[in-house]
Amino acid sequence: MLYSLLLVFLLPALGVPFVYFGGKKSSKLAAAIVALIALINIALVLTTVPTILTSPERRYMEEYAWIPVLNSHFTLFVDGISASIAIITLVLIVAAACFSVKYMEGKKNLPVYYVLLSLLSIGLVGVFITSNLLLFYFCWELMLLPAYFIIGSWGYREAYRAAFKFFIFTHAGAVFVLLGIGAIYMVTGATDMFAAQTALLSVPDLAKWIIIALTAGFAVKMAIVPLHMWLPDAHSEAPATMSALLSGVIISAGAYAILRLSLGAVFPAVAGTDFGVTFLHGLAVFGVISAFFGAFIALVETDIKRIIAYSSIAHMGYILFGLSLYPSEPLVGGALALTTAITGTVFHILTHAVSKGLLFLSAGAVMHQTEQRDIREMGGLSGKMPFTTASAVISGLSIAGSPPFACFISEFLIFVGAFDIIRTNAFYLIPTVFMLIATVFSLAYSLRFVYRIFISAAKTEPAPSVDEKHKIVDVPNSMKLALLILVIFVVLLGVYPTFFINLINTVGFI
Amino acid sequence: MMVGIFDVAFPLVSLVTFSLLTIPVFRLIRKTTHKTAAALVWFAIVFAVVFFAVANLALRYYALPSPQPFISLSLSDTALSWLSSVFMIDGISVYMALMFTAVCAVTLLYSVFYINPKERPSERYYAVMLLLTAAVVGAVFSGDLLTMFIFWEAAAAGSSFLMLYRKNRTSLNSTLKYIVMIVIASAFIVFGLSLVFGITGTLNFWAVKEALIALSDKSLLILAFIFIAAGYAIESAIVPFHFWLPDAYAAAPSSTSAFLSAVIDQGSYYVLIRVLVYILAPTAVLDWTLMLAVMAAFTMIVGNLFALIQNNVKMLIGNICVADVGYNLVAITSLTSDGLRGNLYFFLIGGVTTALAFMAVGIINHYGFKSLQDFSGIGRKMPLSSLALLMAALSFAGMPPFGGFIAKYMVFTSAIEAKLAWLAVIGVVMSVIQVAYLFRLVNYMYGKKPADETRIKEPVKLLIPVFILAGAIIIFGLFPQIVLNLIEPVIRQLPFIP
Repeated sequence: MLYSLLLVFLLPALGVPFVYFGGKKSSKLAAAIVALIALINIALVLTTVPTILTSPERRYMEEYAWIPVLNSHFTLFVDGISASIAIITLVLIVAAACFSVKYMEGKKNLPVYYVLLSLLSIGLVGVFITSNLLLFYFCWELMLLPAYFIIGSWGYREAYRAAFKFFIFTHAGAVFVLLGIGAIYMVTGATDMFAAQTALLSVPDLAKWIIIALTAGFAVKMAIVPLHMWLPDAHSEAPATMSALLSGVIISAGAYAILRLSLGAVFPAVAGTDFGVTFLHGLAVFGVISAFFGAFIALVETDIKRIIAYSSIAHMGYILFGLSLYPSEPLVGGALALTTAITGTVFHILTHAVSKGLLFLSAGAVMHQTEQRDIREMGGLSGKMPFTTASAVISGLSIAGSPPFACFISEFLIFVGAFDIIRTNAFYLIPTVFMLIATVFSLAYSLRFVYRIFISAAKTEPAPSVDEKHKIVDVPNSMKLALLILVIFVVLLGVYPTFFINLINTVGFI
Repeated sequence: MMVGIFDVAFPLVSLVTFSLLTIPVFRLIRKTTHKTAAALVWFAIVFAVVFFAVANLALRYYALPSPQPFISLSLSDTALSWLSSVFMIDGISVYMALMFTAVCAVTLLYSVFYINPKERPSERYYAVMLLLTAAVVGAVFSGDLLTMFIFWEAAAAGSSFLMLYRKNRTSLNSTLKYIVMIVIASAFIVFGLSLVFGITGTLNFWAVKEALIALSDKSLLILAFIFIAAGYAIESAIVPFHFWLPDAYAAAPSSTSAFLSAVIDQGSYYVLIRVLVYILAPTAVLDWTLMLAVMAAFTMIVGNLFALIQNNVKMLIGNICVADVGYNLVAITSLTSDGLRGNLYFFLIGGVTTALAFMAVGIINHYGFKSLQDFSGIGRKMPLSSLALLMAALSFAGMPPFGGFIAKYMVFTSAIEAKLAWLAVIGVVMSVIQVAYLFRLVNYMYGKKPADETRIKEPVKLLIPVFILAGAIIIFGLFPQIVLNLIEPVIRQLPFIP
């Protein structure tokens, strides 16, 4: 459809006054508008899918004039990878909006919260649907501000401290991205990532520095160890809806950016050289370190949200390991080289987003109903909150990588891809073995999480005199709806991954 | 359409005339019942005429066929023409004049509400503001070093009247500091200019440049350059000559700080660009890039580090002004067309953003909140003023979608293009520090609990000019092409720049 992507970009911005004044009436109305806009945007992205599947270059593009002096156009595009991530992002926004109605009830300044949620979706979706580097950076920074204020204003405990840490870390990463983008523009004159790919081929020496600057900047957002310090605080102090979005999509945007820019646009210039091989091996090593680090701490952490936060670090480790399996030989033409491992990695971004979103929302539901966050004091909630228990178990098992849930398929694809590569490159043998061991740990912390909170015997028996109001019951219906949306996706991606895998596979030519 | 002497003189003469008329007109205004409204009507008339004059000039200038950029309008063609004042219009003059008059209008609107028109000396304040704008516009329109010097010194020294308005101990102190610095600076510049005149026998921009290119022995020129550069470095607050700026801006009333940062400060960069890029054109005349690059690095570092340790919010913004000088110098140093574009864009955005910040802080200061600790929870007590300050902070920090982002992007990329990657890296690291202290301020504003939760009724009238500027930085940030189109002729007129 004409202008669909422009509308995806503009609708949340145009909706701001409606959301704000709707929110003054009732937060239900504001949430409904945010969810409605996100649903319309999903539909708009879906209208581009036929073009993606049929057009010769396998992508759908829209171009508008923006800053001709800087050779920058307002280029919006989707291909299989962008479209699928954008759809999942919007699904998470819908779930977050539904969840917020009861979860945020009674908090101050709620109209502003919904406005920020709506604005967040501009930057968040914008990152995935533009091919102009300047616009990409625009969106990249744009998602920081609403996130900062949502974490700070509606978070727990010392929320602004956590938000500050989040902002400074990710912004410091972003300026390196800016240096990289600036260098690409200055050396090649290209601001389009596809044009940059061919233009950079002539400057392999500089491409080394550019790829390092870009990847380091994106790794901060991805919270790869040792650049992860901001993540546990930000994720655990943020309101559950924001944690779901942070963990689900915002950090994965870093992974997407590494794939699209570092590997897609810059890597061809250094492919086939020793540096290129070392670079990929370095990604693998950092991936393994992150996976183990995150898993170990998640095993011993006692704060309900910090466990999930560290599990996110572990999963970013998987994704980085998956990205390191990018083919290191020079390839002719095309945007991205898609192997089984890369398809699996992109699919893992999707499955991790819905699973982790669901897990965070379940944890938020638990915290909302029990007003506790130390898992040592919890237990026996399965009888009292059956729906939340079910969703937490499903998401926990998915995070652990057990079939038939979503993450199983993606992890399986990554490992199949890894074994494929081991046949030609023996280096990957040891990291792959380590990653397989790490999945055992992820099963361990997921089971511990589910067992301690829901299944083990309750620690404190409620006094018999406690009145009805303080009895722990299951979440209200609107929160159930939010959980249900994500449960459906976790199960659906696990049993029928074909739609998204086919969509992702349109990008590659291998 | 041609540009005649009338078109050039019209903005200048109208500004000066209105400035002089302001004092008698305010005698009448004092007798009316609605003094503020009457003052606003008067300034509406003033700016209707001034905008017409400037727009007329701009339209006539942009309608000219493109490869004829410079129009020199000499006042006399006699034998003494080498001594006479020369007016000259080119792309950069028109752009700067447009910017100065627009910003002056907004800051004057703010001053009308901020400096109470019922007060006795208020009309002198407004008159001086108009006169200073006239002087800066005159400096921008001048075509020889002497004319520029006279107009520019009038503007620089005249600013002290605006700083002095409150007439208390601190303002006297900092104004004195400022005047001493300005006097030293003009002495340096005069000496440097006399050397240039001695070397070349002329002061006309183009004649000087031609003569200097032909010069074989450059030792005397280097001496002249050192004096001129030091003089203008003092006036544009380049480290290590920057100490007067934060004090002066913090002690002045906020409307003055806004005006100075947006008009006088940007005017000083204009003078710097005119002398360095247009006349002492590098490599052909003198290669000063490395020296300026080092100064740029120090200015960024010192400005940002001093801002980091400030506790007074107004002083903090004063130090950001110093840091902004550093970013501007980076762009001048790079000497690429993108750098110059970025630089001219930065003039506008930097000026508007600092003016916005000073105006917003001025409103908040008015209720007695001065230090960072006082700003605790101000976001809940004064939501609109805080929102304006937040927007200014984000623009300073270089966050999209505010204008500061595109400005910084262009500045840093131009440094990379000029093979000054180390300067870009320093700039980027300093930019992170800038984000750190700005977000410390934001954290105080929104994250801390205020001493008392009572909401303060904000002065809506003062917020109108504030939000005009806030809207401008968003619009120019989202659509930088609006400004960049105005800058394009400037770039085309500098063929020696790659």
